[in-house]
Amino acid sequence: MALLYEMVWRFLHALLYVQRALLAWFRVHIWRWKRAVVGLLLPLALGFHNQKKAVPIGKRSSRRVRWGAEGRTLEKLPIHVGLLITEEEIHYTDIANLVVWCMAVGISYVSVYDNQGVFKRNNSRLMEEILKKQQELLGMDSSKYSVEFLKNGTDKQEHQVLSCQSVVKVLSPDDGRLSIVQAAQQLCRAVEQKERTSKDIDVNVLDSLLRESENIPDPDLVLKFGPVESTLGFLPWHIRLTEIISMPSHIDASYDDLFGALQCYAVCEQRLGK
Amino acid sequence: MSWIRERELSLIERLTANILRAGPMPKHVAFIMDGNRRYAQKTHVERQEGHSQGFEKLAETLRWCLNLGIHEVTVYAFSIENFKRAKQEVDGLMELARQKFSRLLDEQENLVKHGVCIRVLGDLTLLPEDLQQVIAKAVVSTRAHNKCFLNVCFAYTSRHEIANAVKEMAWGVEQGLIKSSDVSEVLLSECLYSSNSPNPDLLIRTSGEVRLSDFLLWQTSYSCLVFQSVLWPEYSFWNLCEAVLQYQLSHRSLQKAQDLHRESQALQQIEADRTCVTEILQHRGNGKPMDGQSRQTALLNYTASREERVRCFLNALQHKRDTFFNDLSSQAVVA
Repeated sequence: MALLYEMVWRFLHALLYVQRALLAWFRVHIWRWKRAVVGLLLPLALGFHNQKKAVPIGKRSSRRVRWGAEGRTLEKLPIHVGLLITEEEIHYTDIANLVVWCMAVGISYVSVYDNQGVFKRNNSRLMEEILKKQQELLGMDSSKYSVEFLKNGTDKQEHQVLSCQSVVKVLSPDDGRLSIVQAAQQLCRAVEQKERTSKDIDVNVLDSLLRESENIPDPDLVLKFGPVESTLGFLPWHIRLTEIISMPSHIDASYDDLFGALQCYAVCEQRLGK
Repeated sequence: MSWIRERELSLIERLTANILRAGPMPKHVAFIMDGNRRYAQKTHVERQEGHSQGFEKLAETLRWCLNLGIHEVTVYAFSIENFKRAKQEVDGLMELARQKFSRLLDEQENLVKHGVCIRVLGDLTLLPEDLQQVIAKAVVSTRAHNKCFLNVCFAYTSRHEIANAVKEMAWGVEQGLIKSSDVSEVLLSECLYSSNSPNPDLLIRTSGEVRLSDFLLWQTSYSCLVFQSVLWPEYSFWNLCEAVLQYQLSHRSLQKAQDLHRESQALQQIEADRTCVTEILQHRGNGKPMDGQSRQTALLNYTASREERVRCFLNALQHKRDTFFNDLSSQAVVA
């Protein structure tokens, strides 16, 4: 009997995997088709107006204006968005796209995270891609929006790009539980040296230690990409009230996917315990 | 209404349970039982009635969990933030808890039969005194049971729990039981209210909300999160099966992520020990270089002494916590 159950179970799971694979396949291919069709029709439509030369710059700035305006139409916009990648295969250009779109709709802080520290190790590559995409998608005048690579004084591993009022931060599991442990160690050392007593320690003390010098707010929204239903160690202390929205994959993710998630976030109501 | 509902599954439910059990099953499931008030509104009943039905659903769900071979369940019953609700509702919830925990004491036999150990996680001192005593009594009387475990998070938030763990470690430092350099991820986990249970494999939140709301933030870092749109009083066996299926689909990747995490945890510990040994040797040897052999022995000695310190500290902490519950429960007897 047990054997029979196991066979049924295996069959069921095989079915589910096939369904998942099919969905992923359709998603990618429909998106490619859509792009191909648009690519085919757009020149045709524009051909009548004979304005081809003005297109690139006009398109860029109109896109930028559109994204910014769309961001403002939402009832509320997250201040800090975390992009959590659970997939093995990572496409830097797609991540860069997502980051730049986030900036364009007016999100101030974007964090990029994976649980194996891939982004942290390849930080400069990601930042390069982001800069490239920024030029490409937003057509930014580099003299107007100067881009800086910031290095945090206390932690040399932290890298940030400050541009267009948005801060991009690359995170790994070391910023999660480990940072809580470090804060705990710091407090215990203070107790050891009789600078504090254990009675002083509460949520606020710990929170102010964990809120770094830059005072970045807790993420309001985490977009989780990939089939694994878990936060995989993403900032446990900070995701207390974070909305977690799942997306099938970051690969070939479109602006509409992102905007859809932001719309979902905008209608969410938080009661804060009440 | 008792804590575990006695009802057998139908044939088709049993069949499904058996099929699911052929795959990897979660051992510990956590629930955020959300949607009682929305359910009350929807069905035009009093809020309090919604909460009562929510409790009944819990009894039913515990039964299903046992049927599925899940022997540990953690539920979010009352958050510290919930004290902000209208006084009438808070009082109603406290009364419900009082009733249910007293009821629990009345049906000891049932608990003995299933071997249910009840733990209450949270800052009990925030609760009315009489409720604290009833809870302590329930906890103390089921402490020895070890077949299945029900953890009730009451007057709980995860940040509060973590801050409390840090406080306990600082207390250990004050008492001279541990050094500040002994603080590690593993030690912090051991100081949480949930130290006696493994991390949940699966966290289920009902009613369509997609956030953790300050529940088990530390413990569910590498757990499977399933958000379901059904309201808690309408939760069914099939919803639970769906969640388990989701867990099974993510199982392999989660296992991998957990292994990776454990490895890095172990590495951190070795690194920390090494740093401490280097410091000690520098202190003692006035910067004289040491050969690899004696360094290695020094490291082993240090690790052994650290483990011993931590063990003593954890014993003292457990003793402190047990005493707290014992005292409260004996007060209840006197009263």
